[in-house]
Amino acid sequence: MTTSRRDFLKTAGVAAGAISLSTLPDWFSSIVAAEEAAANGVDKNALADVALSTARKLGVTYADIRINRYRNESIATREQQVQNVSRNQSFGFGVRVLYKGTWGFASSRSVTPEDVRRFTQQAVEIARANSVYQRKRISLVPVEKVVTSWKSAFEKDPFEVSIDDKIQFLLSLNEAAMKTAGVSFVNSFMGFVNEQKFYASTDGSRIEQYIIRANPSFNVTAVNRTTGDFQSRSALGGPQGMGYEYIEKHDWKREAQQAGEEAVMKLKAKPVEPGKYDLVLHPSHLWLTIHESVGHPTELDRALWMEANYAGTSFITPDKTGKLQFGSKIVNFVADRTQPTGLATVGYDDEGVPAQSWHLIKDGVFVDWQTTRDLAAMTGKKKSYGCNHGDSWGSISFPRMPNVSLQSGSGNTSMDDLIAGVEKGILIYGDGSYSIDQQRYNFQFGGQVFWEIKNGKRGDMLRDVAYQSRTTDFWNSCDGLGGRTTYELGGSFNDGKGEPGQSNAVSHGCPVARFRGVNILNTARRS
Amino acid sequence: MLFTEKDARAICDKLLSYVKANDATVAVTSENYSHLRFASNAFTTSGARENVNVFITVWIDKKRGAASTNEINDESLKATVALAEQLARLSPVDREYMPTLAKQTYKPTNAFAEATSNISVTSRAKTINDVITSCEKAKVVGAGFHQARGFATGSATRNGNFLYERSSLVSLATTARTPDGTSSGYFLRNHFDVAKLDTSRVASEAIRKALDSRNPRVLEPGVYPAILEPQAVADLLVSFAFGFDARNAEEGRSAFSAPGGKTKLGEKIFDERINIYSDPWHPELPGSQSAQGGLPAQKIYLVRNGVLENLVYSRFWAKQKGKEPTPGPVNNIMESSQPAVSVEDMIKSMDRGLLLGRFWYIRGVDPRTVLQTGLTRDGIWYIENGKIQYPVQNFRFNQSVIELLAPGNVEMIGKSERVGSSEGQGGNAALLPALKVKKFHFTSQSEAV
Repeated sequence: MTTSRRDFLKTAGVAAGAISLSTLPDWFSSIVAAEEAAANGVDKNALADVALSTARKLGVTYADIRINRYRNESIATREQQVQNVSRNQSFGFGVRVLYKGTWGFASSRSVTPEDVRRFTQQAVEIARANSVYQRKRISLVPVEKVVTSWKSAFEKDPFEVSIDDKIQFLLSLNEAAMKTAGVSFVNSFMGFVNEQKFYASTDGSRIEQYIIRANPSFNVTAVNRTTGDFQSRSALGGPQGMGYEYIEKHDWKREAQQAGEEAVMKLKAKPVEPGKYDLVLHPSHLWLTIHESVGHPTELDRALWMEANYAGTSFITPDKTGKLQFGSKIVNFVADRTQPTGLATVGYDDEGVPAQSWHLIKDGVFVDWQTTRDLAAMTGKKKSYGCNHGDSWGSISFPRMPNVSLQSGSGNTSMDDLIAGVEKGILIYGDGSYSIDQQRYNFQFGGQVFWEIKNGKRGDMLRDVAYQSRTTDFWNSCDGLGGRTTYELGGSFNDGKGEPGQSNAVSHGCPVARFRGVNILNTARRS
Repeated sequence: MLFTEKDARAICDKLLSYVKANDATVAVTSENYSHLRFASNAFTTSGARENVNVFITVWIDKKRGAASTNEINDESLKATVALAEQLARLSPVDREYMPTLAKQTYKPTNAFAEATSNISVTSRAKTINDVITSCEKAKVVGAGFHQARGFATGSATRNGNFLYERSSLVSLATTARTPDGTSSGYFLRNHFDVAKLDTSRVASEAIRKALDSRNPRVLEPGVYPAILEPQAVADLLVSFAFGFDARNAEEGRSAFSAPGGKTKLGEKIFDERINIYSDPWHPELPGSQSAQGGLPAQKIYLVRNGVLENLVYSRFWAKQKGKEPTPGPVNNIMESSQPAVSVEDMIKSMDRGLLLGRFWYIRGVDPRTVLQTGLTRDGIWYIENGKIQYPVQNFRFNQSVIELLAPGNVEMIGKSERVGSSEGQGGNAALLPALKVKKFHFTSQSEAV
């Protein structure tokens, strides 16, 4: 049941306002056709039959094959010049097998029946070589067979929008940023990803997915050449699981101009006095703190020491499930692979499990984990939450983070309402420097723009601010959440994890939130 | 199978034959990659990947476009060249365009071992079984990562240059944790030749560190004298040698910028024993033959005897400034001008301070001073009166690299070893020494293990 990219575009990919294929220039259509030729010149179902039957004959208890195409487009500019315009694509397959409770995986860009058979054999050879010494057999919880297709909910396919429009957009954004006297440099970037994924397994599932993500960004720098000082201000709007409509709907030019003004202001801003402050954190900042301090420690593979050699373990251990007071009672975190415009939103994960939504933290208590089929089996669970993901056809899929979001407060609390309750505090916008330990206790975060809060009102701009805290202290100090109108979705296009390192796109939504008595450092002062 | 020089040249020639643009550079890479992970003293994931990539950059009337693909049939190659050319036609003039290089002469390096590229999965399984067995005997819980990679690349320009080279890399990292989770040790080494990777040392050092880190005491954060083992130096400094960009410094946005629009070139910025250089032909750390898009790489000093000797000029920026483009860096070597001091002698010489084995999650905080924050991990011990006294609970640090290496802060420098940063999973090899420094800034306690 192979669905071509053109079919996707015809049925839903190019919605209202987007260009249709018939309006594209001839050269573009011919290149699209060439791209499709390789992908659709192969019969994925037939190749899956080759892989799965070969694996079965060799004695595996489970096998899957992913035949995927990835397309990337990126445009980079600085000031009034274009630095790079590029499009890249990668096509190939990977076969994963479970033989005597041991994983094996092999992959190749050569998508032919002969090579599918050869690399399936190689995957089994690897598993067999390791199984000789295996101590703990891996098993999987079952999943229902499904034959279907799914596409992400974009409105305008960015790969159909002209390069010229994109360049002009970035250059006009740069112009807006440079309007303020004192701005020295601006870099801007626009990146898009399209994943065309096919999955088949010995469970009988066959799933096709078509996913679009957008990643615009910029950075403005102001230099004081007399003193040798420089400050920068990056974009607050992050990547989204959207199409080109994200570029068109967000007011990037206004933000770029504001960024220019704020970069210059930062040069003259008041250095922060270290000490304890209440914090009011905007979603453009808080998403990253959520990612590091909530998203990662609730990964079950970390808690089981599967990532001990690299990413680390977790301060949350399985015995704390349902017991740990992770945060204050107003704190609720939901993991959600169905969240609209989420970067980790999918129809199915990379082992055929449907996207789901579930609480990780409920009323401040840690209640559940992020799981995959093997992790669920290790811990006696009956089903997986569907967190398996491989970042390429050439990467073995493994546990990755779903969208993890802080739920809004129940009322209509605004940012001003939260600020009004602060005598001595700091309001932070944007993500900056970030660092957290290997068990996710101790963290330090910077930001883009810092405003002093004095006696319930926003005051002067501050600089050289970073806060340092301990995860549970921090979330238990949360005493105010904005209402739904303050909720925004931030995220990362490239969250790294695993060995070899893999990238994952993931979103984190949250309202404006207030935290009491957090330790603030001045990053420019050293003893 | 990696591409041979003949394979690579044939594809490059084919790509260039399709190019109608005024100028172009093309490259083809092929890769064999294989890995094995283990955790909780058992095998976890293991796999292999074979891939190729073709990269095309063209300029039409100085307008630039780039495209890449991993499909190498004629139809795909033609389509990718056509795509790059269409992107170029749509782009504004590339103000930083520099004509691609004419034929260059390269001096080969020896950075490839066939046995690494085609690693035996059965012998690797046995090697990792030996590591796990060592962990079991020591009653610790082992986790780790073994990877082996062979890489071949061919690149060519429309103006007549061609280069083919191969490289390989193998690494093993092991973490050993006591079953109660209160102590952890780590060790990582890499090499281009699998025969020279001492896997039993990796296992035994990780286990020793875990056992020696039991029952840590809590110390107050603050400024401590410290000894950084080569792994800790790698974690903090492995990418530092690639941050000497002349343009950033001259544009006023680098730690090497000076007031009045100047740079710190020629100034003594570091301890006078410190040398930071790149040497493509170093036998222990061979680098690429080519730097900066095809310039024949040369041995270059960035810092010599503590003085900032070179900033790195791209071909474009060099032309703007009337300088020669810099033929490097292609690797990262830090060495002392004086005889090396062993870590044991550093410990003996220390009245009071800390021994640091590894840093983790290091991120830039202030680019003006290369201020970095991060944490200690997998081994930190308190030293008094020339002896290790006891293990210590981890800290977060906020430390300027410029201040770390500054005159007056560096007391002793060890022998440089081939290491790689732990966040880089051992892939970014460097030759770095242990350092004994007067001041290292710890800003909070970290209870993580």
